[in-house]
This record gives sequence, C-alpha cells and structure tokens, in this order.
Amino acid sequence: MGAFAFAGGPLEPERYRESLADPSAGGYASFEGWVRDHNEGRTVQRLEYEAFEPLGIAEGERIVAEAVARFGVTRAACVHRVGSLGIGELAVWVGVSAAHRGEAFAACRYIIDEVKHRVPIWKKEHYADGNSGWVNCERCAAAPRSGGPEDDHAHSHGPEHGHARTDDSARSTAPAPDYSRQIALPEVGAAGQARLAAASVLVVGAGGLGVPVLQYLAAAGIGRIGIVDGDVVEGSNLHRQPLYGTADLGRPKAAVAAERLRALNRDVRIETHAVRATPDNIDALVAGHDLIVECTDNFRAKFLVNDAALRAQKPAVFASVHQYEGQLQIYRPLPHWPCLRCLWPEAPRDGLVGNCAEAGVLGPVPATLGALQAMQALKRLLGLDAGESPSLVTVDLLSLETRRLAARRNPACDHENPGNAHHSDEQPLELEFETLAEAFESGLELVDIREAWERAHDPPGLQIPSHLPLSELVQGYAEFPAEGRYLIICAHGVRSLSLAEQLRSQGQAEVYSLRGGLAALRS
Amino acid sequence: MNEIEVQYFAVLRERAGTSRETVQTAAATAAELYDELAARHDFGLPQAMLRVAVNDEFSEWSRPLVAGDRVVFIPPVAGG
Repeated sequence: MGAFAFAGGPLEPERYRESLADPSAGGYASFEGWVRDHNEGRTVQRLEYEAFEPLGIAEGERIVAEAVARFGVTRAACVHRVGSLGIGELAVWVGVSAAHRGEAFAACRYIIDEVKHRVPIWKKEHYADGNSGWVNCERCAAAPRSGGPEDDHAHSHGPEHGHARTDDSARSTAPAPDYSRQIALPEVGAAGQARLAAASVLVVGAGGLGVPVLQYLAAAGIGRIGIVDGDVVEGSNLHRQPLYGTADLGRPKAAVAAERLRALNRDVRIETHAVRATPDNIDALVAGHDLIVECTDNFRAKFLVNDAALRAQKPAVFASVHQYEGQLQIYRPLPHWPCLRCLWPEAPRDGLVGNCAEAGVLGPVPATLGALQAMQALKRLLGLDAGESPSLVTVDLLSLETRRLAARRNPACDHENPGNAHHSDEQPLELEFETLAEAFESGLELVDIREAWERAHDPPGLQIPSHLPLSELVQGYAEFPAEGRYLIICAHGVRSLSLAEQLRSQGQAEVYSLRGGLAALRS
Repeated sequence: MNEIEVQYFAVLRERAGTSRETVQTAAATAAELYDELAARHDFGLPQAMLRVAVNDEFSEWSRPLVAGDRVVFIPPVAGG
C-alpha cells in the first residue's frame, strides 16, 4: 500500500496501523472520519463517495510526503473510502507515527485538512426524505483555490495602464498555511478565517507602511491582495522595508513583494499593479476590493485614495509617519463617519511637512504604524471594530505615548462629491521623457526642486543647472518664477507633481512635472 | 491666567524642541493660544493647516479654554 490509497470496501485501521510501526517511533496518532446521520439540519441515511482516483492518489501521496517532511514524523498514511457507506462507517483514516506526540498530532491534522482541501473527492448524501445531493467538500467553499495557469504574459505591463498580474504557479507545491493560532481566538474561529479567505484588500504603496501591511494580511490568509506601487527597490528603502533585499535593487517593488508573499502563503492571490495611483486609474484599482489600505508617503495619493473610497463606499485605512511619530485613521462608509478631508479640509501640500527622504525615519516607526493598519484591516474584515468610534490615533515612538482623538464628520465636507473632482481636463500636469536630453529639447525650462544633498549624489550628465529646493519654496525663502514654461523635476515625480498642481491652481498655466522624476529617466 | 497642558506633533515638536509643555496663558481660545505659542517657538505653519484637539477631542479653534485643558496641535503628516 502506498502512503495514500482509496478503498472500495470497509477500511481496516488495525492493518494500516501496523504498517506505521517503527523502532524509532515513540507514539502514534490517528484520525477517523465517520459517516454521521445529519448534515445541515437534514437526516442522512447513507452516502456515496466518488473520487478521481489517479489524480487523487498522486495528490494524496504528495500531502503525506509534505506532512512527513514538514513535521519530521517517522511514517504517515491515509486511506479514503469510495462507494456507498452506511451511518457509522469509516470514511477516511489517517495515521502517523513519530518520535513525539506533538508532531504526530500536528501531522495527522495537517493530512486530514489537506486531503479535504485538495484531493478530488465528491460526496453524495442520501436523505431520509428520499432526496439526495452532492455536497461540496467543506473547505473548497471557504477558501477558493485555483490550480490556475501561470501568469498570462500576453498582458501589457506598460506603466500607463492599471493592469493586474497574478501568478498562482507556486501554489500546488508549497505547504498549506496553518492558521491554527488565529483560529484559536474565539472571535475569529473557522467562520472568521473563511471571511478573511473571501476578502479582497487593495494595498496602495509597498514601502515602509505597506511592507508590514502586506506581510500580515498575506500571512492572515486574506483571499486576494492587490499591490499598487510604481517604484523600484532602492538601497535607501531597505532599513524600513526589510521584505526586500540588496539582490532586489532596481526591481519593481510590486513584483518583488508579490514573490515574497507567495512564498509566505500560497493560498493568497496576489495581483500587482506596477503603477503609481493617479486620478485616472484609482477608481479602477479600488473596484473589486472590499477594503483599501493606504500606505503611500504623499498627501496627493492619500487624498486620491480617500476620494475613491468615498465614491466606491468602501472602508479605507490610512497611516502616515514623520520621524518618530505616526498617525492612524480609518474611514468607513457610514453617514456620520469622517473622511480624511473632514479632518484636513485644506488638502496639505507635499513638501510642507517633510517626507521620509527629507525628514528621516527609523524603520520600526512605519513598521509599527503599518502593523496597526493591518490590525485595523483585520478588525474591519472580521467585524471586531463594532465599538470603535471615529478617531485619529497618534503614536509617538519616542515617548511611547498613544492618543486617540475623537473626530467628527465635517458637515461642510461633501461626501457625495469628494474632492470636488479637482483634476481638470486642461493641459496634462505630467510629461514623460526618455532622457534628460529630450527634456532639454522640449523648449521647457528645467527646474530641479530636490534638496541640495540629493543633487550631491547625481552622476554627471544628470545635472540640471536651475535649482530651487522645495524646502525653500514652501518656507517662503524662495519663489517660483511667475512667468515662463517650466518642467519641474524631483527624484520620483511626487513632489514635482504636487508643486505643479499647486502652481496651476494659482493660475500658472505652463508648468509641468516630469513623470516618475529622475528615477524614470535612469531606468 | 490659565494653566494649560500643551502637546506638539511632527514639525511643531521639532520647532518647539519638546513634545509637551505646561503653559500659563491669558489666551481665551485655542486659536489665541496657538498664536501665542507660534510667536514664541517660530512655528511658521499657518493655523489653517493644523488641527487642534482639546481633551482628546478635535475642537473648533474658537473653543474657549479653561484651566487644566489638554491641548494638542496636530499638523498633517504624509511619510510612509
């Protein structure tokens, strides 16, 4: 007998048990599944099992081998009945011998769970009322899995489109996730786990906040996770984004994050969007998800996500950090609930209060706030936030003080028309160039708004003579020239876009931002 | 004069050089208190950009202050 078998007649546990005996084994654990006389309120008289045997045996043997390898047990086996069974008959048997009981129980549990999950077996119940019906295996319904094909490489992956990439190829061979420690919570349980498996979360930004959010949501078994991030991994990211490594430098964050998350949990569907969130793509990105976690480092994106969440009536979890502090807020689509604009009616300008590059940050600060965001997301999806009233939570990692500041809906804030559709249809705000030379030839005057220390690292050939550091502009030490046609340039195109937008709103028509900043030219 | 406990966040903390202080003030409202402290610490941030919370609740700038109030000035932050 192989490690997994089907049997057409009654199972013989005693005989199977002998096959597991080994001098090195200090114990034996087994599980028997019996035919019971009821299911979902109906009286069952007998049932029939049908299996696709060749595939079932191959998958079953794989499961047993996984259990032996994973838990280090001595021997393991499983036999499943097929055909017609009466009440009380043995439907499935699992046995494990091991040096110690802990591994034996764990491996036994693993095997039965996985067999129910993965082996193609169908069950037909015959009820007392004369009816009968085929019953789905319980787990297939709770955690939809796909043995799906590899990524469809025919998709366009250009930076302009909100395309999605998914890849489930790693699924079939990796071990199944073990959620026992969270299912053990009375408030979670199997029902809560099923809710997480059925949920879909969009994470905007895979940086200091996004990394822990992605890790904890994937590990918790969220069914589908979308990652939006148009950046590549840079050396200066790693101290606060340890999901990435030095070998990943220059690779798109979304793709690297997806790889790591798939290795963490094969059952989560990961979709990557290697683009920046823009007014044009944000609604499409948000659609199809139950909850948004906003993890970017700029106000522009935060308000973009806020407005899209309001339009789609979906909850969103926001956080941001500054040096040793962080702020956390959740939006819920409820009439009395404040949004980000209720709190900050004057959408703040980027550059005014510093970002991680300018102000500096220690890794655990965004990690703490990101972990809080993941917790808020799980609470929302599990319904554990019933008693929570709207608030802004501030966390100071130096003094270890947290503060919950009660927030109220601002009656002047129009939730029906969030942000007043502020993106206009006039000239595009962003221009795209392949090289700096092309940008120079465009006839626009190039203005570098990075800080002096950022310019100090530039290779020759990427020098822009005209320099107006954003910090001096926002503090009023310098003024942007009112006349002329300008292409504003920063490192990644975030600060430049924010400044261009502000200058436009002040009536300056011919200012543009270099899309993606200097980083886009370099790549 | 009222004794008010004040707490600062982010750039305000940097400018003030402390995350909290207790002040004796004649300011009648949160707005007046901010003006007074902005002048003392050279905050440079307009009040319109900030939010104020009194006793752990976001408040109007016109809210009258009473002795023992805990006032928090909060600028928005964006880092991530």
